[in-house]
Amino acid sequence: MPSFLKEFFNRNGTGMGLTILGLVLFWTIGLIILPQLSMLDFSFRPNLPPPEIGGPKDVYTLENYKYLIYGPEGGSQDYNTVDLRVFFRTLVAAVCVTIFNLILCYPIAYYLGQSKGSHIRIFAIMLIIPYWINEILRAFALRIIFGETGVLNTLFVGLGIWDTPFDFIRNDIALYAGLGYAYILLMIFPIYNVIESLDRNQIEAARDLGAPWWRIHWRVVIPYAKPGISSGCTMVFMLSAGALAAPQILGGPSSLWFTQLIYQQFNDNNDWPQGAAYAVVLLVTCILFVLAMMRLFKVNMGDIGK
Amino acid sequence: MSAGIGVDLESLWIRFGDFVAVRDANVHIEGGDFFSFLGPSGCGKTTILRAVSGFLEPSEGNVLIGGKNMKGIGPNKRPTALIFQNLALFPLMKVWENITFSMEIKGASAAERRRRADELLDMIALPDQGDKLPSELSGGQRQRVAIARALCAEPDVLLLDEPLSALDLKLRQHMRTELREIQQRVGITFIYITHDQGEALTMSDSIAVMRAGVIDQIADGKTIYNDPATAFAASFVGENNVFRGKVKRVMGDEALIATNRSGDLVARISTANRGKLAEGDDAMMFIRPEAFAIAPEGATGDHFVTARVTHEEFEGNAFNIFTEGDGGKEIKVSIPNLGQSFKDHTGQNITLEYDARNAVVVPAGELAAE
Amino acid sequence: MNSSFLRISIWVYLAIFFAYLLGPLVIMSLTAFNSSSFPRISPWECLTFQWFTELFHDQRILNGIKNSLIIGAGTVVLSVAMGLAGALMLTQIWPKLRATYYTIIIAPILIPGVVLGISTLVFWDRINRMLGLGADSVLSNGVFLTVIGQSTFIASYCMLVLVARLQRYDTALTEAALDLGATHAQAFRKILLPFMRPAIASAAVLAFLASFENYNTTTFTFGEYPTLTIELAQKVRYGITPAISALAFIIVALTVFFALLNEAKLRRQELVAAARRNAMVQDLGGKIRLPSFFAGNMAAVLLVVFAVATITMVGTAAVYSPDQCIANVKEQKRLEAERRIQELRKQREEQRKQREAQEAEQGGAAQSAPKPSNNSGFGGVFAPGALGGGADAEPEAEEPPKGNGGFGNVFDPNSLSGDQ
Repeated sequence: MPSFLKEFFNRNGTGMGLTILGLVLFWTIGLIILPQLSMLDFSFRPNLPPPEIGGPKDVYTLENYKYLIYGPEGGSQDYNTVDLRVFFRTLVAAVCVTIFNLILCYPIAYYLGQSKGSHIRIFAIMLIIPYWINEILRAFALRIIFGETGVLNTLFVGLGIWDTPFDFIRNDIALYAGLGYAYILLMIFPIYNVIESLDRNQIEAARDLGAPWWRIHWRVVIPYAKPGISSGCTMVFMLSAGALAAPQILGGPSSLWFTQLIYQQFNDNNDWPQGAAYAVVLLVTCILFVLAMMRLFKVNMGDIGK
Repeated sequence: MSAGIGVDLESLWIRFGDFVAVRDANVHIEGGDFFSFLGPSGCGKTTILRAVSGFLEPSEGNVLIGGKNMKGIGPNKRPTALIFQNLALFPLMKVWENITFSMEIKGASAAERRRRADELLDMIALPDQGDKLPSELSGGQRQRVAIARALCAEPDVLLLDEPLSALDLKLRQHMRTELREIQQRVGITFIYITHDQGEALTMSDSIAVMRAGVIDQIADGKTIYNDPATAFAASFVGENNVFRGKVKRVMGDEALIATNRSGDLVARISTANRGKLAEGDDAMMFIRPEAFAIAPEGATGDHFVTARVTHEEFEGNAFNIFTEGDGGKEIKVSIPNLGQSFKDHTGQNITLEYDARNAVVVPAGELAAE
Repeated sequence: MNSSFLRISIWVYLAIFFAYLLGPLVIMSLTAFNSSSFPRISPWECLTFQWFTELFHDQRILNGIKNSLIIGAGTVVLSVAMGLAGALMLTQIWPKLRATYYTIIIAPILIPGVVLGISTLVFWDRINRMLGLGADSVLSNGVFLTVIGQSTFIASYCMLVLVARLQRYDTALTEAALDLGATHAQAFRKILLPFMRPAIASAAVLAFLASFENYNTTTFTFGEYPTLTIELAQKVRYGITPAISALAFIIVALTVFFALLNEAKLRRQELVAAARRNAMVQDLGGKIRLPSFFAGNMAAVLLVVFAVATITMVGTAAVYSPDQCIANVKEQKRLEAERRIQELRKQREEQRKQREAQEAEQGGAAQSAPKPSNNSGFGGVFAPGALGGGADAEPEAEEPPKGNGGFGNVFDPNSLSGDQ
């Protein structure tokens, strides 16, 4: 280890070496590792007013986690059904959004990756532009469309297809559309990157051998694109499970997203340890889920983010 | 020409983990010399160069430049300039900015730098090319710009790491002459790294032959060619035919070798090994292809070799005859083409003759790979 | 036959895809020009620029933009610096540590933004308490926390962008500079940094955009410095107005503008390079010759069209006054409302008469008299909008309200907000 450090300083000089090392340590330890550990620690503590923090009452407790499962002490129900239902609904919905996005984006990623020509660049710009627009505004745009007197309802009612305006928001359709919309780019680019490097001849060869198009995809393209697909799916799943803006704006009044519960604990109930515990549960569950999926589909961690 | 600054390596060891890249190197490089490290790739010669230029700290031993120990002095504080194998010209700077980078560091004015760049561009015969980018120059031109950039730093020692390896053959031969001329003009010490013995022999005042981290021999080109110290030096520098055997008798400077295949043969013991070879030692005898002549049939003795010809070829300036040799390796014989008539010997036995002064004996050792 | 079917289906798919992607933005942009106080396009009332005026007078939005710019600048500096250091470290770290290190610095991309925001808040709050600082210290300042929180994951994006270019860097260049006498800092500044400049620019733009649009992390850390995104979220959650559409339109327009500008520049560089390779390009014969900047440069043409359109729009906005139109619409609405009231009265009158007649005929046995079957009657009565004479959505003033339209108005949030 010291020999590595010595070489590092030899190579970068003392001043530059210290700057690089300092920034990297600040980032990895000060911004990534310690805050996460701190949040974990915090989630095991009771909610105390500031003067009592560090005092005799400040002991480790599982109370915050118990709350998620059993609800308030002496509550009327055995389990905290409200929060648990929100939690599982969030995970299931995030999986659905991921699958929906994959189905929507795979063809376009394949098309972009395998076509040549200047129109591809125009498509790429058209893909990127919505991503540069504010997340809130994207959700807002969908709300205009899905609102009770929005474009879709006006259109369908006007055409006489529906008698009454359909409540997209209450039925969470707007929410799913919004989540899917928000992360299209994160699904397309990893898949595109991989497919672009796929040798066209492989497809031609498969076609020569008489394979139908779906078989070419199933046997040639998808196995090759697996790192990109898993990368895209991981990102979309993690980000939609952790989304806050879209559920706040597009979610129905009765259906909450788990992040909204966390938000409420922090901002409305002022119970930070409780919120931290919920955040830890969300983070750990998502990570475990992704790792399980990666094992199921035999994908390496190193492929993510490429 | 000993006015320049010399370089000394004292018991230099360089290790990377368990791997020993340089083993106990002791070299004295005379100031103003053109000194080459010659060896196959991976022998540690570039490692030595990096230790001299300061990019590597030796594990043991010292690097002295002009008698001054360089320990703890960084590459930017040493009076050396390195020409990289891939030249490492700064791609985003114009040629003149590249050349005068060392002056920019010292805060010289643009006008001053421009003037100096023009001088150097004249010297390397590239006038009016200063405003181009390196990518717009040809390989040979880039080569010269790299030299000018190094010289602009006014180093006491110029280090060159196989700078010609990327060029084509014609240009390489041309640049050899040019490099030698430049070295003589500026009069500073050049340390040159190469795996090409032709480059080393044509340009150098002194050559160090390296093998697997060890320096086998340090001498001028003629000595290395004619009087190699080790089997490796003999086989790596120039073409050579090897005869393995044991020392049968030592006779002053000469020895009689009982070869495995070709009977007893006599040869000169190489200077470095005099007194070190004793009867019964494993030895190797080397005879250059051009040292053979065709002897009358039936001649025998300790300087005649008889072998079956496998094939022949005509090379223009010489006829090459290949005969069965030791250990699956053919013996090559080169007869200069002086217009004499030649008959084909393929499939026949042939007797070859040599002068014992042109055959050299060294202790048995590792041979250079083909 | 089969292949043409496939091609058509690909194009249909692309059309649907891009409609999904761009449609919402187009519709949202259009609503910025409709005088209806609820952002919508379907009952088009009047072309107006009033929402832009309103936007520019909204102090909270302006303040949000200011905070966003400050935080964006801080985030760009911090995350590009950390991203570059992280990338440099990645290229030279001890091989055994590399996988772990890579996992750590890539993780923030996958950690939900909410979690990052909370952990930042909790951690710095604890540091703050450990140092015994008050609630108004720098460490609990919203700008500081937001920059720190955002940079945690934005630096990962920057690192990915930077490392891609760094992998093409020849370290011999740095060594050459050192060898020629440069210090490590000089070699970095004069050799590595210029080489990295395009990637640093990309990373900076990316970082700024990511910071500007971030909501999940910022919502926990902003303190007393709400960014534009936070302000927008507040507005959107508690009632939406076309002023937000106006802002969206400006952002969309700016984005498209810079995207086209960048594309035109790239295209131009390509064309110049192509022209160098092939000097004959200039002599394409006696065709109509566009200035060389435009030749074969679709993006540049679009850019000019875009600029002209902008100028036209601004020019129109300066002289155009929708007052007359708005007055007309108002008048129409008033008339319609009156007419409805009249109708209602008439209906009631008829009902009353009917009832009276029935009562007269059947005495008090008329309990089960048919209720009015037309919902709009009731809806209209209870719709406060109708009473305010204002924001009813029905454009077809001539046609009587039909079906549930009237009923729906009761729940229409803007019928409460009245007319502007």
